[in-house]
Amino acid sequence: MTTLELDGVHTYYGESHILQGLSLSVEEGEIVALVGRNGVGKTTTLRTALGLTPPREGTVWFDGTDVTGMEPHEIAARGMGWVPEERRVFSHLTVAENLRVAAHSAADPDARIAEAYELFPALDRFADKEAGDLSGGQQQMLAIARGMVGDNDLLLVDEPSEGLAPQIVEDVVEALRAASADTTMVLVEQNFRLAMDLADRFYLVDHGVVVEAGETAGVTSEDERIRRYLTA
Amino acid sequence: MIVGFLLYPLVYEALLATPAAPFAEAFLPAITFMVVVLYMGLFAMSFDFVSGYTGYLSFGHAAFFGTGAYFVVLAANGQVPGVPGGTPFMITLLLGATLAGLLALVIGSVSFRLTGVYFAMITLGFAQVIYELIRSWGYVSTNPTEGATVSGDALAIGVPYVDALSLDVGRLTGESVENLLGLGIDLSATVVSYYALGVVVVGCYFAMQRIIHSPFGRVMIAIRENEERARAVGYPTYRFKLAAFAISGFFGAIAGGIFAAYSRSVAPDGTFYFLVTADALITTIVGGFGTLAGPIYGTLFNQGLEDVLSTESGGIATLLREGLPPSVLEADLFGVSLELFVNTAVDGRAPLYLGIIFVLFVLFVPNGILGTLRDRLGGTVGKRLPYHLRRYRR
Repeated sequence: MTTLELDGVHTYYGESHILQGLSLSVEEGEIVALVGRNGVGKTTTLRTALGLTPPREGTVWFDGTDVTGMEPHEIAARGMGWVPEERRVFSHLTVAENLRVAAHSAADPDARIAEAYELFPALDRFADKEAGDLSGGQQQMLAIARGMVGDNDLLLVDEPSEGLAPQIVEDVVEALRAASADTTMVLVEQNFRLAMDLADRFYLVDHGVVVEAGETAGVTSEDERIRRYLTA
Repeated sequence: MIVGFLLYPLVYEALLATPAAPFAEAFLPAITFMVVVLYMGLFAMSFDFVSGYTGYLSFGHAAFFGTGAYFVVLAANGQVPGVPGGTPFMITLLLGATLAGLLALVIGSVSFRLTGVYFAMITLGFAQVIYELIRSWGYVSTNPTEGATVSGDALAIGVPYVDALSLDVGRLTGESVENLLGLGIDLSATVVSYYALGVVVVGCYFAMQRIIHSPFGRVMIAIRENEERARAVGYPTYRFKLAAFAISGFFGAIAGGIFAAYSRSVAPDGTFYFLVTADALITTIVGGFGTLAGPIYGTLFNQGLEDVLSTESGGIATLLREGLPPSVLEADLFGVSLELFVNTAVDGRAPLYLGIIFVLFVLFVPNGILGTLRDRLGGTVGKRLPYHLRRYRR
């Protein structure tokens, strides 16, 4: 079953035409990576799917429903979660409050939060600490945990490794693998190798359209069809 | 804080009976000023409720203060259709606050389509329109620019229709108490009003605090921190902001209502005018944005400074004029006598110094008094101060 489908989507910031007829689909249970250079429209694709930057043309389907033009909170209530770039936790709320706020749509919020603590023991230790006082890696864990606790069918993850030390990135990758066990995932990631390791399929985006797509197995950044779109 | 407010009149009155009376009069705010701290502090808290916790600056907040104040006065005079004259004050207070909450829904439904400075300006615009309407609304009184006055009996705070559990308030019309509980303590009308208004303010404070610590309050903070993220988590933020604004308007009107009950008269300039909101803004910044209790400290600071620098009830100017010998007062220093300095730079110059202090706070204490204290202690004062005191004793 198709979880997410973008069909000929055109999205603008003011007069800037960012997505220029982009189409993609994500099947249930998959991890799909969006790769490409900076500024080609990867984050905008996620924002368009969630309704934060609605498309002017094209259609967004989520779990078989046309969600084009819906408010972000309506789409989120249908089970689409977001782990934004630069983490963006609610810094003056505690770790526990961050999770509680995000778990409001879950059928059993307490159980979901307990699962998140089991997966990220560091968050349990700092449950009463304000999120803004956590390290970058811990904030990223919290951002991922927050995306997980809402009983989401689909998680949109934006640049999870950005600004993190290599050791912390490994922890984040493990967390994402664990999260993907029961959630379909769309991953935007600058680190091409990491994206290929995590994802089942990829879409290579350039100038607001998909220029390459396929299975990730065996794909490297040295492939000619990939390299020309990743280098400046 | 509550214990301090509770004991203040008794300590102040006791000090006035000692040789330190001139200094107490000069440096401690009189009870009349403390009454102002109560209703303006509540108004500033209601401003902080929406501005400090959702991040939307409500520059038109005076509209709600004015609505509460005018409703109470007009209801007391039997001028509100459907509300017969003589309806207990506590009921008209709640009705006025509910009306202000509804007004907030109307203003907010338009204003919350905007953000940042545009939101602040459109709320200010709404409030100024209402101010101009009230100034020229002949139904209020024969001279609407001067406002209206309660024509009947004193207004009572307490349980409606139960005289034994109600106290008349007002500087001139309020009840006084002699020999309280046989303890030999006499309470003047002003002190009785102070306690009666204080009960309302404390009740409102706890109600707002309870809301802020509820799941609804957590969403308000989430909106302040990152509204887009709050929407993406699944919250219809527009509705949450609107509800927060209505609650804030409700409590702002309660502040206006108790002000009207105490002063028994209202005027457009003292209620609906934008400088009333400016007062709340200044005291909230001084006390600490997003702290709820901070604005009370800010108002205390503001009113304390005004009292110290005025001659209405003592003050530094009076202390110097009456305490120093004429030879010192008239002594010439660089062509200026001390008496001239006191008359021009001290007496009634609170707004000047408050302006300077406001600038210094914005520059050097951006989190305000309570915000900075909480940052230093690592949490709320009530929770963290005992811990730090224990550590200090060891």
